[in-house]
Amino acid sequence: MGVVVPLAILLPISVAALQLKQLNAMARIILAYLLTSAVVSLAASAMIWNKMNNLPVSHIYTVVEFFFFTCFYRVLLPGKKTISAIQVCFLIACILNTVYVQDLYQFNSYTRSLEALVIMLLSVNYFALLFTDISIVKPLQNPAFWFNTGIFLYFSGAFMLFIFSNYMLKESRASFTVVWNMHATLVLLMYLLFTLGFLKCKK
Amino acid sequence: MQKITDNIFLLLLFAMAGTFILAASFIFFFVRYQRKMLLQREAMQRTELEHQEKLLHSVIHSQEEERKRIGRDLHDDVGSALSNLRMVMGATAPEDKHHKPLIDNIITTVRNISHALSPPGLELFGLEYALHELCDHFNLSGKLHLVLENHTGELMDKTGQLNSLTLYRVLQELLSNTVKHAEAKNAIIIFNRENEKLVVTYRDNGKGITIDPNKKMGMGMQNIESRLHMIDASFAIDSSPGNGFKIVIELPLHSNVDI
Repeated sequence: MGVVVPLAILLPISVAALQLKQLNAMARIILAYLLTSAVVSLAASAMIWNKMNNLPVSHIYTVVEFFFFTCFYRVLLPGKKTISAIQVCFLIACILNTVYVQDLYQFNSYTRSLEALVIMLLSVNYFALLFTDISIVKPLQNPAFWFNTGIFLYFSGAFMLFIFSNYMLKESRASFTVVWNMHATLVLLMYLLFTLGFLKCKK
Repeated sequence: MQKITDNIFLLLLFAMAGTFILAASFIFFFVRYQRKMLLQREAMQRTELEHQEKLLHSVIHSQEEERKRIGRDLHDDVGSALSNLRMVMGATAPEDKHHKPLIDNIITTVRNISHALSPPGLELFGLEYALHELCDHFNLSGKLHLVLENHTGELMDKTGQLNSLTLYRVLQELLSNTVKHAEAKNAIIIFNRENEKLVVTYRDNGKGITIDPNKKMGMGMQNIESRLHMIDASFAIDSSPGNGFKIVIELPLHSNVDI
């Protein structure tokens, strides 16, 4: 899992690269997220090889990931100002959490859980929009549906893990690895759904 | 107090799986609901379309009935009255040279209008006869030289009453367009049989038209389209400025053929 999943990111990136001219604004945001994610993943791996604690990366990655996904929903959902306000509030919360609650060398379970919660709410909001918007006739042909499904399934599956991460790390490192493999499976599923989304992109 | 011995990792795995299943079910039911909605919407659109087609059918049917009634009234009542008047004038004023030709002219006009409204030959002798009559009418008028070619044998008269009437009306409309707008000298109507289709080709050597798919069709062409749609016939127009006008109508030969 430790090798397969980071490499699996190349699948949606390759499909997106092939479809580059077909990609609209929201698909380009997802591509930008994937590229950033790949770079962060490489940086985290490099830190482990150099026997460094890579948890500071998680703090930065949480903010970056949240920014990309909220930008994605800014394109899809009405209420752009509200989403911008959420972005600012989340950034403040992350800074406060790192400075006063969970420092850079501790897993940022609070902000990660908060991120999952907000993203899930935005995702459900998009499903609600699909329910009510009669102009969207075939949602399965809509790339946004697949991107949103990938995000929703990933965060709902990983939500509990984010909440109990620090608690479990204290209990047992071996079991913690098993649970994080499950997280990797969710990431893999998200990448596959993103790939499907890119394949549906047609201008 | 009893010590809790639950495995926290197992519980977390259950919690993760639970929330994941919950989210996946939500998406599954959403997709199912959307598909159901789509099918419902399609069914509604289909019903609406069928309703509109029925409406169009009944409008054209009542229009034909009305034309038939007016044509018959004109022929039987007005035509007879004029003929009587002509006979009376012949008996009372045999030397009148001014009014008799005028009455003859009116009788011919009334008969032409009556025949145009309801071609009597169509029901009695079939489409070929009615179209030959139409050809004679145009050829005698001197406005257009019209030729009818039938390469289908008796099939032309066995397409069914509705099909015959529709093809007659469509050709009548096309001829009217040719005379009014095309400045054509010659026109030809060809009936062929290709596979299981009756193919009607109408061509004139007029000034032609510019075909623009984005431009709305005129009333006459809309009428032609509606009538042909009613009998499941398709059509293709080929025309350009200076190159005349051509339309090919394809009528599938299925249940409507009276063989």
